[in-house]
Amino acid sequence: MNGKIVTIIAVLMMLFATGVTFGLYQINFQGFTHLTNYSKTPAYSLAGTKLYSNGTLFLQVSRTAGPDTYGGFIVLVQVLYPNGSVFYQWTGQQLGMVPPSNIKNEIPLHPSKAIKIGNYGVGIEVPLGQNSTIILQIPHPVPPGSYIVKVWDADGQSAAYGEKFQITVEVTS
Amino acid sequence: MIRKFLYEKVYNYNLISMAQVTVEETQKFLPILRVTLGWMFFSAFVRRAINVPAKLNPSSSAYVGGKLITFLPHAWGPIKPMLVSVLQNAGELYAFIIMFTALEAIFGLFMMLGFLTRLSGLVLAGLAWGIGLAAGWLGSTCVDEWQIAAMEGAAAFMFIFTGSRWLSVDYFLAKKWKGIKIGKYYIPLW
Repeated sequence: MNGKIVTIIAVLMMLFATGVTFGLYQINFQGFTHLTNYSKTPAYSLAGTKLYSNGTLFLQVSRTAGPDTYGGFIVLVQVLYPNGSVFYQWTGQQLGMVPPSNIKNEIPLHPSKAIKIGNYGVGIEVPLGQNSTIILQIPHPVPPGSYIVKVWDADGQSAAYGEKFQITVEVTS
Repeated sequence: MIRKFLYEKVYNYNLISMAQVTVEETQKFLPILRVTLGWMFFSAFVRRAINVPAKLNPSSSAYVGGKLITFLPHAWGPIKPMLVSVLQNAGELYAFIIMFTALEAIFGLFMMLGFLTRLSGLVLAGLAWGIGLAAGWLGSTCVDEWQIAAMEGAAAFMFIFTGSRWLSVDYFLAKKWKGIKIGKYYIPLW
């Protein structure tokens, strides 16, 4: 190889490595358009949640953001009328007592689980990346119509990164 | 003239006779980066195999396999389905973890020793950039995983082209063995 070819290869490889660095920056953080660091605060998606007229709620929770070494903790689950008033809700005290059989995890490692300290229910811990179905029961029938299912994190937030932790569901008779 | 002569000496390996291995000044400073770079990978193996063996035990809560779950939410699109399928098959996941750890151990150590440095650079760049596509979005302090992936990837990539030069096993091997011949091209060892 002569010096000229080496120079060309060196420039091309510099451009390639820089391209990978910039590419990863854009893919991971949208660093050149709208910089977002998804590790800052927990977020949840409820896509796939279903509510039935007999009062059974299949709460489909996936934890989509936040620190990787520490859980997100759901401390309030609400079923709301479309106007925002509460139809039914489960507080941390109740969520912390949900039996393991009512929490189904998509991935066996790092499962979501109910957290309680003695008789004091805290909530449901959802590890980053886990996608769980949490089965909850409203003790009376649900009239047909639209409802909003909403969850709250232990930090008091019900939205992050511009997304609300809620979804509209239809109950049919 | 001297410059041209040096170029020919360094780059035209057909002209280099055995034991005529020259070290230029800049090359003496390459090990500063090389050893740290190798340790970044080799120490991952040390942590899992020696410090905390539970990290490689699938029934332990410390199992590294669980770490892959945390990559999922914002992993690069094309990588995500592969991650999900590996995570849902415990056997595949274990094989993947062992293979990844072994590659980190072998080529991390090679990089530190400066043995087969160009090949080690290629493998380590692949590992670093690959992880960057899956876990690069993680890092609560300062976009940490991306910094790791980009820096280690670029550094390893550089050694594909520089070789290890001074203070390396390759340096001694190169005195006896020119390199690997593929077709009419030599891939010089050092």
